[in-house]
Amino acid sequence: MEPLIGMGVLALMGAAATIAGASEDLESDVGSQSNPNSQVQLAPQMMYPHRIYNKAISGEPPSNALMCAIGGTTASVLMTAYSMSPLFAIAMGALFAAIVHGSYSISAFLGRPASQKRFKQPVYLDILRSHTPVIMGYSYITTFCILVVSYLMVAVLGHPFPLPLLAFIWGITVGAIGSSTGDVHYGAEREFQNVEFGAGLNAANSGNIVRRAESGLRNGIDNSWFCAKFGGPVTGIAFGMTVFLSGWVTTVFNPAISPIMGWLSVVAGVILVLIMIIWNRKIEVAARAAFGPYKEDEVAA
Amino acid sequence: MIDVVAILMANYLYVLAITLGGMLISLSVHFVPVGGAPAAMAQATGIGTGTVQLAAGAGLTGLVTAGAVMAVSDSLPLILAAGAVGAMIMMSVTMLVGAWVYTYGVGVPPASAKVKYDPITKDRQDLYVSQGTEGHGLPTVSFVSGVIGGLLGGIGGSLVYYSLMMNTTTSLTTSNLVGLASIFAVGIFFVNAVIPSYNIGGTIEGFHDPKFKKWPKAVFSSFIATFLSALIGVLAIGGL
Amino acid sequence: MSAGGEPKAIGGAIVPNKIIAFGILGGLIGIYAAHFLDSMISPVFSFMGALGAICAIVWGADAVRRVCSYGLGTGVPSIGMLALGMGVVASMFGLAVGGIYGPILAFVSAAIIGLIIGVLANKVLGMNIPIMEQSMVEIAGAGALTIVGLSTTMAGTFMFDEVLTYVVAPGYIAVIFIAGGMAILHPFNACLGPDEHQDRTLTLAFEKGGIAMVIAGLVSAVAGSAAMLPTIMIGVFIWYTSFAKFYELTKRDSYKILGSGLLPTEEELQ
Repeated sequence: MEPLIGMGVLALMGAAATIAGASEDLESDVGSQSNPNSQVQLAPQMMYPHRIYNKAISGEPPSNALMCAIGGTTASVLMTAYSMSPLFAIAMGALFAAIVHGSYSISAFLGRPASQKRFKQPVYLDILRSHTPVIMGYSYITTFCILVVSYLMVAVLGHPFPLPLLAFIWGITVGAIGSSTGDVHYGAEREFQNVEFGAGLNAANSGNIVRRAESGLRNGIDNSWFCAKFGGPVTGIAFGMTVFLSGWVTTVFNPAISPIMGWLSVVAGVILVLIMIIWNRKIEVAARAAFGPYKEDEVAA
Repeated sequence: MIDVVAILMANYLYVLAITLGGMLISLSVHFVPVGGAPAAMAQATGIGTGTVQLAAGAGLTGLVTAGAVMAVSDSLPLILAAGAVGAMIMMSVTMLVGAWVYTYGVGVPPASAKVKYDPITKDRQDLYVSQGTEGHGLPTVSFVSGVIGGLLGGIGGSLVYYSLMMNTTTSLTTSNLVGLASIFAVGIFFVNAVIPSYNIGGTIEGFHDPKFKKWPKAVFSSFIATFLSALIGVLAIGGL
Repeated sequence: MSAGGEPKAIGGAIVPNKIIAFGILGGLIGIYAAHFLDSMISPVFSFMGALGAICAIVWGADAVRRVCSYGLGTGVPSIGMLALGMGVVASMFGLAVGGIYGPILAFVSAAIIGLIIGVLANKVLGMNIPIMEQSMVEIAGAGALTIVGLSTTMAGTFMFDEVLTYVVAPGYIAVIFIAGGMAILHPFNACLGPDEHQDRTLTLAFEKGGIAMVIAGLVSAVAGSAAMLPTIMIGVFIWYTSFAKFYELTKRDSYKILGSGLLPTEEELQ
């Protein structure tokens, strides 16, 4: 294959992955999934009932892997058994995945509060009706983009893994990245805007999540509005970077040409990792200088 | 029925390689700085997600890269290196963007609560831990530890996949073999990611964490579990 | 209860042994019925495999429920992934070498791997969960039966050549892995809390099993379209009835179901 076509496909994959990452994070913020949801779960027990969706499907990686694998399977079946065009098959696959995801979301939203009867957390059906379509919409975008990435890898870049398996793996990865990056913005900042900025959650404040909004009571859609300003986009960048960089090293230095090129691709990857270690160190030094220590050194004082 | 002895005689090296791969995956999970649910609230040092899933995300990304390289090359060191690079890139990107969120979104400096000084940069840690938390963010030592975790996990996953693919007695076509070997590799990966996460109780800061010393227990458990899986995996593929 | 039967009304607490028997027998009967009826009468009957898988899923969900009431130190999902990780290795092995005894061999080898991991978890890792060994055997066994059951529906048989061609090589095994795993781990995870009830959790397992069945039906179109419609329709029926039942039980168990409204007042919370 022409190197330029490879780069173009890679750029398209990177762009699709960036959208997938951003929508994955916002999907988990609307529904409140994964680790930050532990505070939403804890709140009623601490006498803070709330009107926030409780989408305890599982961690984000398995639930995203589920919808991507279902989407990939449906698309693959439609392409092999009914000879549909890839684009239509992928769109249908993503639709079916979004419906299944909606069903999983609803069962979690009904199940968790019902198991908290003694803490008097009501089940609000208007939250269910307003949030579930939003969740399904985001999950459609995520699945569609992941399927585009997987399909391009199989059909154009010639990856040996079958489409559903690749979609499954990228689903695990996007979930792992989303819950490691964007969710922190939701969990550490948005849920606890009532405490001073610039500190981790004091264990004494556990469960005391913000329950009132600019107007009325806060819900998951308010949370995604906030997280769309920072958490969602950076998650997109993270997943886009992962897909792009891990493909970039083998596209520029193609191991199919010669083993030497293969080793150059390894060297390029290691250099990228070293750059990121140094970048993280720069951020660490800058953050320590900007924010300063929280307490005085007792010996010096 | 299949000739068990002959298949194992022909493939015993691959059984051992798969077992080694499983042990590497198990060890790699101990390096990955994971703070679990508390880290998502900037309440504990590390990445704010679960051990199993993060290790799986990194390792499977490595598997994708290794699979791509294996389709065009048969050099074992190159395949292992490609898997390691894929997993390391995924892990570093995740940690770097995590650091953006902690620093610019939450406004906390990276700090460890398990050690007083960062073993690599010698920076004082305890003063930068905000009140009522167990540290937050990713100090350099945790970041480096995570990269090592990605490296080992990527090598382990690729080694498992490579050894399953190189089975000498199989008569499967390539596409069938890829399908079977890749799902076996995923299954073995998950088993070996869950065992160490039970060992460390779900959270660890990196190789400087006192919990890290427990690694021989998990690696031993993974040795037995993977050896068994490797035996039946090789038998299944080799007998076809 | 026959493998193909609808769930009977589950009242109160069902003892584990009944569910274990339901899972193993229902699972194996469903798988073998699918295999033989498919070749002897009509390919339509391959939907029985998915019904067997649903029995195994319900059993697995109950086993997860029992073991996760102890603190595992990490979330519920990890145990579901472990179950299917063990299950996929064991079931591919069983089907590859077992021939007509494939499902049984898959089940037994999964149980052995599960037992070993359970012993290692308690003795080496020091988790000290009294029911760990038994639960690991159950979860791995349920995972293996789920995989074999869904594969049988997709391929129309559990003979490994067909399974390899129609399920493993095109990658549909990945969706079995995650849809089966989620069906086992999600019910308890979704109903986690101090007021969790067994009947509500297991109803949810039926619902998620119904979804897995619909997916298996869809994939069966690749091997031959005869079984597709019946499998999807039965799957949707199981999904709908168990969802309706689940909503009913949610109404029974929750504090209040409100169309909309404010938060409970201070006095109400006292």
